Amino acid sequence: MSTPAIKVEHVSVRFRPFVDRRPTLRRSLTTFRHKETQLVEALKGVSFEVQKGEAFGLVGQNGAGKSTLLRVIARTLRPDEGRVVVRGRMSTLLQLGVGFNAQLSGSRNIYLGGLVAGLTKNEMDERFDEIVEYSELGEAIYRPMKTYSSGMFSRLAFAVAMHLDPEILLLDEVLAVGDEGFKQKSKASMHELLGRSGSIVYVSHAVKQLADFCDRAAWLKDGELVAIGDAGEVVSEYRDFVQRRRKELRAQGLA
Amino acid sequence: MTTTTYYARRFNEYMSELWRRRDFVWFLARGNIKARNASTFLGLVWWVLNPLMLGLVYFFIFGLIFPTQRDISYLLSGIFVFHFSSQSLAGGAKSILGNAKLLVNIRFPRLILPIAFLLESTFGFLASLIVFYLIVIPFADVRPGPQIVLLLVALPVQVIFNIGLAAATARLAVPFRDITNFIPYLNRIWLYCSPIIWPLTMIDNASPTAQTLFRLNPMFPMIAVYRSALLGYPLERADVVAMVAWCFAVGILGIAMFIKYEGRMVRYL
Repeated sequence: MSTPAIKVEHVSVRFRPFVDRRPTLRRSLTTFRHKETQLVEALKGVSFEVQKGEAFGLVGQNGAGKSTLLRVIARTLRPDEGRVVVRGRMSTLLQLGVGFNAQLSGSRNIYLGGLVAGLTKNEMDERFDEIVEYSELGEAIYRPMKTYSSGMFSRLAFAVAMHLDPEILLLDEVLAVGDEGFKQKSKASMHELLGRSGSIVYVSHAVKQLADFCDRAAWLKDGELVAIGDAGEVVSEYRDFVQRRRKELRAQGLA
Repeated sequence: MTTTTYYARRFNEYMSELWRRRDFVWFLARGNIKARNASTFLGLVWWVLNPLMLGLVYFFIFGLIFPTQRDISYLLSGIFVFHFSSQSLAGGAKSILGNAKLLVNIRFPRLILPIAFLLESTFGFLASLIVFYLIVIPFADVRPGPQIVLLLVALPVQVIFNIGLAAATARLAVPFRDITNFIPYLNRIWLYCSPIIWPLTMIDNASPTAQTLFRLNPMFPMIAVYRSALLGYPLERADVVAMVAWCFAVGILGIAMFIKYEGRMVRYL
């Protein structure tokens, strides 16, 4: 097997956020430090690989550690233990509007978005027209981005990300935005990326689409990888679990 | 490209990465300036109005109401040079704390943000120097002389000092936000301890220890060198040496503190 595009090895991340407990008389008398911290293990020894040309899905409930894992792969968050090896140029679409300044025009933001990702101004000059055309924003490209709808915002973000020649794309739920036509187009671009043996890591709660699009998937539960394998199988396992949980909760509510 | 480290390990690797990203620094600074101009009614006029009002406020109080310093050229040169450095404290912290979303999502050398802030504030400082001459030429009968070429040295050296300040406060303010509350008071103390609103002769009668303490303020040699450049005051070699030493020490220390901490920064945003 060829070398993987992403290699995640025994990654653990711990946070120590402050907890805001309801103050009781007893607690306020017995503790001097009113700021308590609590250890949160966001990721517990997660390991997996993403191959070249592969679309890899991540599923899990809110707070399971999906976003933390994406940040570790994007290498903006350094894990407490373990390491991540990434081979290839990476584009990230983890949150809407990152790297953009809403006061400025779309055209200026195309440059900002490309430069923040590490391209030079000349490289962006070459790509500019293509990005504008791809985003289908027309004359709106010269308006400040604060006048854009969220669909327009995400179209521009996606257009920029796809024109940075990424070999690895990290996506968090952004596909849900934009109209039907643009969705089809973005899907085609992603298939094209996979065809050039690029890799995609895709996080979404729309598990049916995720199962259709991804080759393999992993299920993250409370910071641990509980299942990894064929996307369809992992997703159906996850859905069974969610349904079972819902039934249990309902039964408890009725009891 | 194989990457296992978070940011380049060595100082010179980091610096060459910064240099490679210079287009981004430039665009970020220009973007911020453009956004600011577009969002205010007076736009570009503020570049002149801001230093003008800053100067007038201090002249009103310390030149007219409590006349501790009637020499407007002495007062304004001090104020503008001081302001250029003092605003770096809050600006550095803000450049990181105000861009949390960007830092969490995209990997790039984080020092770019305080540097872009500094580039932006350098334009402001240059505008204030123009305002300075627009005031002092008619009102204080001062003409720029040949010593003005000294600015070519003083300005870059002060910029290094300011980057160090901005980087250090950014590094400290990320885990301890409390610092941002403290900065305005720190700046006020720093202002009163600097030779701006009081004349240099004031400390002549002070004890030798007190004099040394006053001279330990990095603003002391810095303002002296600028006054030589802008107003033709005699240039003391000791001031030049002290200014350069201070600026490189603060610059290198601040940048080193920042880079060392960079990998852990996202945890606190």
